[in-house]
Amino acid sequence: MTSLTGRGGNSGYGEPVVAESVAYDAPHAGVSARGLFRSFGPVGAVQGMDLEAYPGQVTALVGPNGAGKTTLLLILATLLAPDAGWVRVAGFDPSTAPGEVRARMGWAPDMLGFYDALTVAEYLDVMAAAHRIPAARRQQTIPAALAAARLVEQAPARVHTLSRGQKQRLSLARSLIHGPSVLLLDEPAAGLDPRSRIELHDLLRQLAVEGRTVLVSSHALDDLEEFADQVVFVDRGRTVASHRVDQLPAHAGPRLYRVRTLDAAALAQALDTRGVTATPAGPSAVDVQVFGGEANAARLLAELVEAGVPVTGFGPVGGSLEAAYLQLTDDPAVRR
Amino acid sequence: MITNGIATVAGLEFRLRLRTGRWRWLLASWLIVLTGIAALIRLSVRPEIVGEEVVDYTGSFMFGGLMLVVLGLALLIAPALAAQSVNGDRERGTLAPLQITGLTSWDLTIGKLLASWGTGAVFLLVTAPLALWCLAEGGLGIGRIFAVYAVMTLLIGVICAVSLGLSAAVARTTTSSVLAYLAVFTLTAGTGVLFALLLAVTSETVQQQSNGEVFSYSEQRPDRIWWVLAPNPFIILADAAPETPTTTFQLPDGTVIEQRQDADLLGALSQAARELRQPPEVFLPGNDVPEPTPEPAPVWPYGLGFQLVLAAGALLLTERRLRTPAGALPTGQRVA
Repeated sequence: MTSLTGRGGNSGYGEPVVAESVAYDAPHAGVSARGLFRSFGPVGAVQGMDLEAYPGQVTALVGPNGAGKTTLLLILATLLAPDAGWVRVAGFDPSTAPGEVRARMGWAPDMLGFYDALTVAEYLDVMAAAHRIPAARRQQTIPAALAAARLVEQAPARVHTLSRGQKQRLSLARSLIHGPSVLLLDEPAAGLDPRSRIELHDLLRQLAVEGRTVLVSSHALDDLEEFADQVVFVDRGRTVASHRVDQLPAHAGPRLYRVRTLDAAALAQALDTRGVTATPAGPSAVDVQVFGGEANAARLLAELVEAGVPVTGFGPVGGSLEAAYLQLTDDPAVRR
Repeated sequence: MITNGIATVAGLEFRLRLRTGRWRWLLASWLIVLTGIAALIRLSVRPEIVGEEVVDYTGSFMFGGLMLVVLGLALLIAPALAAQSVNGDRERGTLAPLQITGLTSWDLTIGKLLASWGTGAVFLLVTAPLALWCLAEGGLGIGRIFAVYAVMTLLIGVICAVSLGLSAAVARTTTSSVLAYLAVFTLTAGTGVLFALLLAVTSETVQQQSNGEVFSYSEQRPDRIWWVLAPNPFIILADAAPETPTTTFQLPDGTVIEQRQDADLLGALSQAARELRQPPEVFLPGNDVPEPTPEPAPVWPYGLGFQLVLAAGALLLTERRLRTPAGALPTGQRVA
């Protein structure tokens, strides 16, 4: 069995880490892809991708435009046949058992295509019927999907009247309609306002907690850390690295934290006595450089609170994902 | 209850058509135009007087003319019903979500065919009152009406199937529409032009001896190329219609004759097509009367057979192109 560590270019960023309890070659009900290739004519869209996404986790698929994320998801969603490689989705091979995969997999494409003439409820009813859910059971599954995607109020509205964010949610409701155990979401946050984004993240976390495998592609990095357990970096059709979010290499290096306080003078003094250099970041906030990972950041916060500094905010500036991502895509060794 | 995939697809497509088009206006103007044409044909018919008997073929004559007009217009409408069915859905991003449900590629193929064919059949059904009018005028059997409608329905289905196949084979909706109309044009005008051109090629020189004198003349042999015209929808429709009833009557001198209506356009076209199959008359030496030849055989089974094979081929192609996971894709075509 090929090992995930077998690819080059990631040694400088720590060993790729997947859930320790699961060996690479142990079959699981999530998503596994190894040595995947797919080209369109002369264009090699996917050129050796490896991916593991486990049940109960949100796995983020991160990479620049044209990295092959959508093609990979199309292969996993039983729409495209790979040229080469080994794939399992919910325990089945999409190429030889597409029906089994489809019954267990929900896919939200990057293109939001619906029938504009139908209402939201009618559309979901058609999709449920297409999944061969009997009419009697649709009476329960459709309201449940509408509630999960927070579209209950929009149920009688025609699809063409929905906003982009609502259409994203309808796409999500569509992917949930048959109660899949694996969710493949292609840029579900595209075009969402900040509030909808947070709600989406909460929903994704909840779906993972329910035991589903959630694979989300994205090129928006900053908020992935909030909801993803694992990140798979792809670039130019290859998997560049895969990490657990809490063990990202950037977590170990120096990082900027922003500290907000009610008493700027007390904060400045407390930082000064500890030899921490601070740069002002607004009237009541400073940015501090923290070395040695999150444990040190936590210790600094505890000390500040103990010293009586009225801290109102303490958090990293910029995502560590962003840092890791930029590192990966900048490296000439990775870029070939 | 097990939901039927074909019914799901056909029902969805039919509902979308019903909601998006201005069908009421379209069907109303269709009926008004055809009623006008029927009235004009009615005004142009005068009962025929043979000897002392008045022979009324009005209904039959009206019906023949009207049905040729209906077929002509139906051939213009049918491509529009299906020529964007698959690639239009691809363009709007609504096809892939259906493909990852429990629907099979045959469900999609046959469902889409039935929806477009059914819409075409509605147009045909609307003309039923006009057929009843022709029936009321007399000289027309109900069997002829049923046969002509049945053949016309089949012909519309064939055009829908061919257009559907083109929409699945070609990535761009405009290209598939143009090709569908080109296909109809080829079947109608194309067969006529090809026949006329080929007829000149069949011309041969015949030498004949008459009264000890040898003379030669050139003769065209349409019986060798009659099959070129066979796929023409107009000829199929005309030739498949059952013969009009004959009327027997007595001339003033006492001879009884049997007369078939020959002013009927369908009948005339059928007669002309069948006569093409007739080999030239053969004169045995010393005989001025040609050898008797058998009644010319019908042409329509060949034409309709060809059309049905064409439709079956188009459906097989459609199914192939809807099959997922997709292997090699035609250039310019995306799966989603």
